[in-house]
Amino acid sequence: MSRNQKKMAARVAKGGLLFLSCLFFIAPYLWMVLISLKPRVDIFEPGKWLFIPTLENYRAIIKDAGIGDYFLNSVIIAAVSTLFSLIVGSFAAYGFARFNWKSRENTAFMVLSQRMLPAMAVVIPYFLMAMAAGLLDTRVILIICYLLFNIPFTILMMRGFFEDIPIEIEEAGKIDGCGGLQVLKELILPLSLPGLTATAIFCLINSWNEFVFANFLTSIHAKTVPTSVMLFLSVSGTKWGEMAATGVLSSLPVILFGIIVQKYMIRGLTFGAVKG
Amino acid sequence: MVKQYLKKRPYLPYIAPAMIIMISLTIFPTVFLYLISMTNYQLGWDWGRVRFVGLENYFRLFTGGDPDFWNAVYISLKFMVITTAAEMVFGFFIGKLLSDMEFSLKPAVFAILIVPIVMTPSIAGNIWKLMFNAEYGIINYLLNQLGISGVAWLDADMSFCSVIIADVWQWTPFVALISYAGLCSLPADQYEAARIDGGNAVQLFRYITLPSLRGLILLTMIFRTADSLKIYDMPFVLTQGGPGNSTEFLSLHIYRLANAQNGLIGRAAANAIVLVAISTVVSRGIMHYQRKEA
Repeated sequence: MSRNQKKMAARVAKGGLLFLSCLFFIAPYLWMVLISLKPRVDIFEPGKWLFIPTLENYRAIIKDAGIGDYFLNSVIIAAVSTLFSLIVGSFAAYGFARFNWKSRENTAFMVLSQRMLPAMAVVIPYFLMAMAAGLLDTRVILIICYLLFNIPFTILMMRGFFEDIPIEIEEAGKIDGCGGLQVLKELILPLSLPGLTATAIFCLINSWNEFVFANFLTSIHAKTVPTSVMLFLSVSGTKWGEMAATGVLSSLPVILFGIIVQKYMIRGLTFGAVKG
Repeated sequence: MVKQYLKKRPYLPYIAPAMIIMISLTIFPTVFLYLISMTNYQLGWDWGRVRFVGLENYFRLFTGGDPDFWNAVYISLKFMVITTAAEMVFGFFIGKLLSDMEFSLKPAVFAILIVPIVMTPSIAGNIWKLMFNAEYGIINYLLNQLGISGVAWLDADMSFCSVIIADVWQWTPFVALISYAGLCSLPADQYEAARIDGGNAVQLFRYITLPSLRGLILLTMIFRTADSLKIYDMPFVLTQGGPGNSTEFLSLHIYRLANAQNGLIGRAAANAIVLVAISTVVSRGIMHYQRKEA
């Protein structure tokens, strides 16, 4: 085999392996979409590729199962928790980025270590405190719980974005007579808008997907989309079609969001530790 | 006086609100958790019945009074080691393939890799449950076409494996994306020099790629070990910890003790403390290793 042929063969082999891997990662999603469009009887015949697609499953979850309430709860909880974290967390991030003090890195490390805390460990005290405060099964308690991971995330993400803004810009603003808050509003805010958007989207995705708190602390009124998986277990077996339809609807926004913040994906996934 | 104090610490007004919220959301509940773990509190009791029992809950755990506990610790650690290793190797491999090739469909590959990462784990768990179904799951259907029949994916001897497959599916892309970024950031001239000196592909990998990416690899490991120790949603939906206790990870064990049917809050709290301790030791251990120079 000549050198070129060898190179070609290696390329084909690599391409093939990559294609198979991609197939593995996307197959469950495609299968979910397919199931959500299948009529009930065809779901139990996995080999039946040709069927008449139906929107019956979507109709059932919206009309009969009231999935709208789950979505409404999820949207409100994710949005409020994200907004609050963004405000409080950005201020702290600015402090970390622009000032230097002795225990700064230790404090930043403490913020990062929140990421390692298992939710299942703190959910028990949260449960008891929420019970005492009469907050069980309300949106408020989930909003508070989601601050637990959204605030540290915002601090570390935004710290990186603020550090990317040259300090000279601020100094120039101050010379031109801007006060501290004015510098923040007129100079820093517009410059950090892409970072803020990316951070907000990650907070929304994480809040949207959260399961431990939602499962433990809500029962009827404040249930979010991830807990809807329990909805489709019935005496006659799981309602797979309706479950898949819910999955498609709930994953559309997060996948769309994920693709929007693709550029910042690595930064977001590592809590700002790697600026990929 | 306050003014002077703040003048010395100009950062405080910025970070104080966030720090106060974070401390009240973590330190306070953790202390509370310690206290509960030393009581016999059960759900639905009024506070008059609650007694302080000292370390009894812990003794029960460590002396085998709760036989499922050691099983939970064992399979949680086993799960952590297997999934982290599998995801690191498989993910690094995909990152390497991606960085070796230039092709126009690359953005599509990234979009595909993002799908498992952002998908709600509980919903993904349900999809895997359907695919793993022994009678009408797609996986057994395809295996049947290949002549392998009747793998009972969610039975006692396979369920642990199934949770691992689902976890590898969800988190390998995470490692792949990070490895890709790391590999792309490596300077090409080192490789050139080494190749001229006669280094082969394995040597290049062993002596250039691995040492340069050491920090990144360990960081990824910290995230993956911490997350796999916490795992809850996926097995909760996929197997409910069963059959028997074959997939009852620590989180699920805590849930089973604490949920409405059992309500053994005191004992669950002791379990939760053990979970926090394990995950702290593991992530601190890797962090220590990461900070040390190679």
